[in-house]
Amino acid sequence: MTRYIFRRFISLIPTLIGVTFVIFMFQRLIPGDPAIAMLGEHATDESIERIREQLGLNRPFFLDRDALADGDLAGFFDSQYINYMGRLSRLDLGDSIHRRIPVLETLKLRFPATVELSLLSMIIAVVIGIPVGIVSASRRNSLIDSISMVGSLVGVSMPIFWLGLMEIMLFAVILKWLPAGARLSTGFEIEGITHLYLVDSLIVGNWAGFKDSLSHIILPAVALATIPMGIIARMTRSSMLDVLQEDYIRTARAKGLGGRLVLYRHALKNAALPVVTIIGLQAGTLLAGAVLTETIFSWPGIGRWVYDAILGRDYPIVQGGTLLIALIFVGVNLIVDILYALLDPRIRYK
Amino acid sequence: MAQINPEEFTVTDFAVREHRSLWGDAWGRLISSNTARLGMFIVILFVFSATFSHYFWEYEPKKDLDYSLKLKAPNLIVTEEIPSIHPFGTDKLGRDIFRRVVHGGWNSLRVGIVAVGISLFFGGVIGLLTGFYETVIMTTIERIVLFGITGFLLGMLSAWISNQLIQLVVFTLLGLAAGYYKDILEGKLSRVGIFGLLGALGSAIPAFFMGASVALICGILGLLSGVLLSMALDGRFFSNVMMRIMDMILSFPGYLLAIAIVAFLGPGLGKGMIAIGVVGIPVYARLTRSAVLSVVHKEYILAAQSVGESHGRIIIRHITPNILSPIIVQTTMGLANAILSAAALGFLGLGAIPPEPEWGAMLGDSYRYLTSGAWWAVLYPGLAIMLSVLGFNLLGDGLRDALDPKLRT
Repeated sequence: MTRYIFRRFISLIPTLIGVTFVIFMFQRLIPGDPAIAMLGEHATDESIERIREQLGLNRPFFLDRDALADGDLAGFFDSQYINYMGRLSRLDLGDSIHRRIPVLETLKLRFPATVELSLLSMIIAVVIGIPVGIVSASRRNSLIDSISMVGSLVGVSMPIFWLGLMEIMLFAVILKWLPAGARLSTGFEIEGITHLYLVDSLIVGNWAGFKDSLSHIILPAVALATIPMGIIARMTRSSMLDVLQEDYIRTARAKGLGGRLVLYRHALKNAALPVVTIIGLQAGTLLAGAVLTETIFSWPGIGRWVYDAILGRDYPIVQGGTLLIALIFVGVNLIVDILYALLDPRIRYK
Repeated sequence: MAQINPEEFTVTDFAVREHRSLWGDAWGRLISSNTARLGMFIVILFVFSATFSHYFWEYEPKKDLDYSLKLKAPNLIVTEEIPSIHPFGTDKLGRDIFRRVVHGGWNSLRVGIVAVGISLFFGGVIGLLTGFYETVIMTTIERIVLFGITGFLLGMLSAWISNQLIQLVVFTLLGLAAGYYKDILEGKLSRVGIFGLLGALGSAIPAFFMGASVALICGILGLLSGVLLSMALDGRFFSNVMMRIMDMILSFPGYLLAIAIVAFLGPGLGKGMIAIGVVGIPVYARLTRSAVLSVVHKEYILAAQSVGESHGRIIIRHITPNILSPIIVQTTMGLANAILSAAALGFLGLGAIPPEPEWGAMLGDSYRYLTSGAWWAVLYPGLAIMLSVLGFNLLGDGLRDALDPKLRT
């Protein structure tokens, strides 16, 4: 097992280097000069040159072959990418170009908002998706099965930004039950360690704060949960159906065990494996979907922040945010792989 | 003694059953399923209206503008206030939403088809090659080509650093040589030494004319490249490299990479297609590769090999037809995904350039008017996205059941 984990870690290294490479490349190739973006159109050439030098933008992208031809070995490696990797290894993500504050600080502030939203969505998706899948599988080809399977396919086909807008229209504009955006109403403040407002307000016993943050998070969380919910329900159903055809299920039934006992005790355990995988893989869907959901609900998370930064050519934010999202994605996939190998010994020896 | 004369028998006496093709069977299963029929109906309706609306119902987005009809609710009868019928209402510029929804379908469909085409082509080729050569041993010519390409790619870095095109030639030749003389000193340390030395010298000597430090760097690079070329690179190596690149693309969540690509290329439908297509390549590459791996050990492949069929012919004639069904299913569902992604890009203002009608962009245009009660401007374009995506998904589901009865659940 240790060997398997070690091998997985090693195979991660080229992927991670590639990820930093791609992120770096994309941001530098976007048309538009960040120095001009910082100083405005009317800046003098001189001051633009000075800012470019300060930001290291005057250096070549990857390697400086002209410096090498002059015999300057140190200058050869003094490039934007290598300097970027160096800063990255010191956890220095740079300063936002427009706001001039460290990216890491804003990231720390905004990341919990995205985590809270994604976690709640995942919980909603799992809590509804798995039971729906089990029920459909156990009553195969019944009316309930057809309805829930078409329903989950509708969920998979849902443009979540549209669903979010429809929710806002119904619950915020017409019924006026729930707020249409932001994380908290003005006047509320929740202090705490985790920065997840739902958890923090419970820890300190701030009921009003809990209710307020719940009323804000519920609409975006439901919108974000739709696609994973559909996928999880469908996966649970097909995995359960596979398992229910196995001989040991027939044996258990033949021994006279009750239908429910067989379903939950015997079948669900073995059907859980692919479901766990698919849940893990949905992490990426959630993080990517956060860009859209956060835009609609003015949710102060990293998705919206990165999107604004792309439009505003704020390179350091785009690099930091994208890197974080990619890292989480890679990390979750690694955990899923390891979990899978733990649960299913056959994987390890391949 | 009774004589049996074969000519007296007709074919039907032997083959009583009427001929049924595999695809015909699948078609029968497909149309017997309610959900698949529903999906097919939606898809046909959508494709039909998207394709033919241009011929029967002209629309010029650039001229469509009427402020007097700004944001009117849907109406089905003509009144004095609104002299024309707008079943889906009008948007902020007084444009008929029904008309724009119908014409917007063409853009979404086009994005879907081109994007899936890009992913399918590149992903499919990568998947076929990696899956095949991972298990089948390469012929000499194929090995020489692989080594040559590897050498060429390795040479690019040295050639760029030293600003000398000759480096490219040197490394390509070194690669070709390593592929051709594969058996010389195979597995021995001296082979590594010879190729390392050749690489180092071949790179450092021309680089010396550009300066001593250039020669140093190129020499080190040449040494490493030579050592790599001295190894027995095979299909497994190629497959590993390709799959790591695919992993890299996959480690970005879909939309985000598409957004980044469009941000780099600039907004526009064509660029959106490329972005969504590139993001989808690894999905098809992995699917195709695993499908190839599942058939490449079969007896009929072995038979084709033993009668001396070429690798290209085996891939095209024997492997491709046998892995089609999962790919067809994935393509149908991929169309659904591509339409969804295109709509998301359009919604964020990175897709179609206004006033071109596109469902996602229509949503992005109008959602600010939601709070003032203009629900129709948001409801109908979104409904169109959802229905068309649902149609392709239903059809894909039905196709999976029809093409692979074993998986039928």
